[in-house]
Amino acid sequence: MSAAVPIGAPDPGDRGEAPPSRHWYAPRVAIALFVASVLALLWIVQRQEVDEKRQAVIRDILWVEQNVYFSLSRDIERLHALGSVADRASDQRQVEMAAQHLMSNSAGLVRVMRLDPSGALRASTPRPAAGAFSLSAPSEQAFRLALAIGKPSYAPPALSGQDWQFEVFVPQFQGGAVESVAVGVYDLKAILSGLVPWWLAEKHRVTIRDASGNVLAAKSNVTAGGVPELTHQVPLDPPGHGLLLHVESYGVQTNLLRNVLATTIVSLAAVVLGSLWLLRRDVQRRLATEQALRAEHAFRKAMEDSLETGMRAVDLERRIVYVNRAFCRMVGFSEADLIGHVAPQPYWPPEEVEAIDKAIQAARTSGKPHVAIEMRLMRRDGERFDALLYEAPLIDAHGRQTGWMGSVLDITERKRAREHVRQQEEKLAATARLVTMGEMASTIAHELNQPLSAIASYTTGCLNVLEAGGYSPAELKDALQKATAQTQRAGRIIRRVHTFVRKSEPTRKVVGINGVVEEALGFAESDARNRHVRVRTRLWPDDAEVDADPLLLQQVVMNLLRNAMDAMADTPPEAREIVVTTARAEALVTVSVTDRGCGLSPEVERQLFAPFFSTKPEGMGMGLNICRSILELHRGRLWAERNPAGGTVFSFSLPLEADVERADGTHRG
Amino acid sequence: MSEPTVHIVDDDGAIRDALSWLFRSRGLRVRAWESGEAFLGALTEETQGCVLLDVRMEGMTGIEVFERLLDRRCPMPVIFLTGHGDVPLAVTALKRGAFDFVEKPFNDNQLVDRVAEALRSGEVRRREMQAEASLTALLASLTPREREVMAHVLAGEPNKAIADALDVAVRTVEVHRARVFEKMGVGSAVELAALVKQRR
Repeated sequence: MSAAVPIGAPDPGDRGEAPPSRHWYAPRVAIALFVASVLALLWIVQRQEVDEKRQAVIRDILWVEQNVYFSLSRDIERLHALGSVADRASDQRQVEMAAQHLMSNSAGLVRVMRLDPSGALRASTPRPAAGAFSLSAPSEQAFRLALAIGKPSYAPPALSGQDWQFEVFVPQFQGGAVESVAVGVYDLKAILSGLVPWWLAEKHRVTIRDASGNVLAAKSNVTAGGVPELTHQVPLDPPGHGLLLHVESYGVQTNLLRNVLATTIVSLAAVVLGSLWLLRRDVQRRLATEQALRAEHAFRKAMEDSLETGMRAVDLERRIVYVNRAFCRMVGFSEADLIGHVAPQPYWPPEEVEAIDKAIQAARTSGKPHVAIEMRLMRRDGERFDALLYEAPLIDAHGRQTGWMGSVLDITERKRAREHVRQQEEKLAATARLVTMGEMASTIAHELNQPLSAIASYTTGCLNVLEAGGYSPAELKDALQKATAQTQRAGRIIRRVHTFVRKSEPTRKVVGINGVVEEALGFAESDARNRHVRVRTRLWPDDAEVDADPLLLQQVVMNLLRNAMDAMADTPPEAREIVVTTARAEALVTVSVTDRGCGLSPEVERQLFAPFFSTKPEGMGMGLNICRSILELHRGRLWAERNPAGGTVFSFSLPLEADVERADGTHRG
Repeated sequence: MSEPTVHIVDDDGAIRDALSWLFRSRGLRVRAWESGEAFLGALTEETQGCVLLDVRMEGMTGIEVFERLLDRRCPMPVIFLTGHGDVPLAVTALKRGAFDFVEKPFNDNQLVDRVAEALRSGEVRRREMQAEASLTALLASLTPREREVMAHVLAGEPNKAIADALDVAVRTVEVHRARVFEKMGVGSAVELAALVKQRR
């Protein structure tokens, strides 16, 4: 389509490109903001969640640490109490039971011992393994510290078999002096399993680490491995010595609702974006279509304006609904004058209204497309012109006929050119006829010259001889005989010409005079239209038959019609009318051609039938002469009269066929 | 030498016969020819008189015959007989030296008078031509030196001047001069001048 945009049509791109970018600016920003805010929201929610989780983890670990602290503090008290019981009780079994009780109620406590201030083992529950008991160096240090300060002291953890254990030394005073030292041995693993509840272990991996980060004990029901989501650690004091309580949180549990929400938002946003994109594509396609349409419209408009053919459309009520520029130019009315006008249209000449109406209706009802109707139309200034109308049904988008679209061609020029050519041809033919006639005349003249010259010479010679005297009669006789022979020669030439002329004698037959007249009218019709002459006929109802050469009679009628038209050249077009009548009276049929022309002056009337007399600049002056000859050949008569209403009536009469028969019969007999 | 004759050239027998009768009735000698070819074939140096030529003929037309006569420097006057419409042709011929043209049908005795005039004119021209021919012959008999001397004599120079001009003795000039007079058949320089002048 774009290829079809004509040069000179406004470029639709000038207006078509700008709006989309302006239109699409706001939605794009809105979408960007929307996506950004959704992402920000999700991020904030995520942050909050992480914070919350961290809070929970911290809370949990503090709780665990508190638990350990409480448990260890209570144990110190209990160990203290157990020490007093042991000091006072004599029964060893009772002490053993108390120790058992203590251990079962205390998390992580795996052994309870009693040492004397020198560090020797007094008692141990459960029973100590065989072999000498001795404290490790760090334990010894803690032991000494407890003795020195008189307060409980924790030893650093040490590996015992598989597990890490540490001791707490609780000095027992008896009257101001340390009587014994109660020792609790804790297993780190057991502490964790005793003090970390299951629900916490479900979410977190809780470990006890030393200062250098080595894991000494751990508790976790978390199955998922990998990198922990969150970690936190607090120092574990007691027992101190750089021990850390470490928690690693794995995001096992997920917030289903939130995830669903986020997913929904994201997918909804995706749907919105998608539909927006689709909408945009649709709008772009629409824009492209619109642009194509605009280009097409401009193209059509340019095409329509460049047309020399007039276009006009009427609806079914025969109201003009459309006219193009060429049509307005042609008829001289403006578009505003014509639109809405109902038939008869202002460009129909008043005298043609009926004919045009009939022709148009006939074309519309004929059902044939592209029937050309030739008609005479009128410009605003009254000038008539010849036009060709092609009428076609006007069909709307639903396939219904809403009226008629007609294209109108001004063929005046074309007709004028055709007429000009015809006239030229006629002139040429006339000249050719003249040349032929001249040639023939010249030949005849030459032929006749010979014998005439000879005759003249013989007779002059005779006269000379007679004058001179001394002649012989025989001599004279011979010369005169020769002269006589030459006269006969001249006579032969004349006869030959006569025979030649007789060769083109008419071929007669019985014809109806009305038919002859109508045929002649048919030939003259286009000529009459060109000269804006109306021809009316008043033909005798029952056709009169004559014995004649129809071609010659046609020639006569056409000649009279042409004369009539020529006579009305200066008559105003409205008054140009020829009436052709045929009438029958007694044994004669009379054909009259009546015009409203200039009439005949007395001088013209006198020379009307003289050969080579013509009132027309190009006339040969033979027309009426020939007509009269033709009629005389048919035993008819030709005459002219004044038309009382102005103009001239040329009439000719012919005997009816039956009379001719009889006349011929008597002639032959 | 044959007598002056009217030569009628026409392809129409009746015209030939009628014109012959007419001219004879006025006492003129007539010879009729049925075509231009026949006439030209019989034409000799001695033929004299005038020619009546029909313009329109079978075979050679009158104009063509006239052209041939011009080619052959025939001194005979030519009268054309023209029919209807041949006038322009005849006018052209007249310009080229034809004596006259007469349109058919003609006023016969006028034609005879014109022919008689033509005969006279022909005779005069014949004589002129003869005189010229003899002069030419006389001049041809002179030697180149004699011709030189004659030119000086005609210029009216005396013998002495001629001798100086030609660088010869006066006596020699006198001899040449006498011979020129003798050959040209004249007795004096005045007569010589008159004779030669005709030719100019």
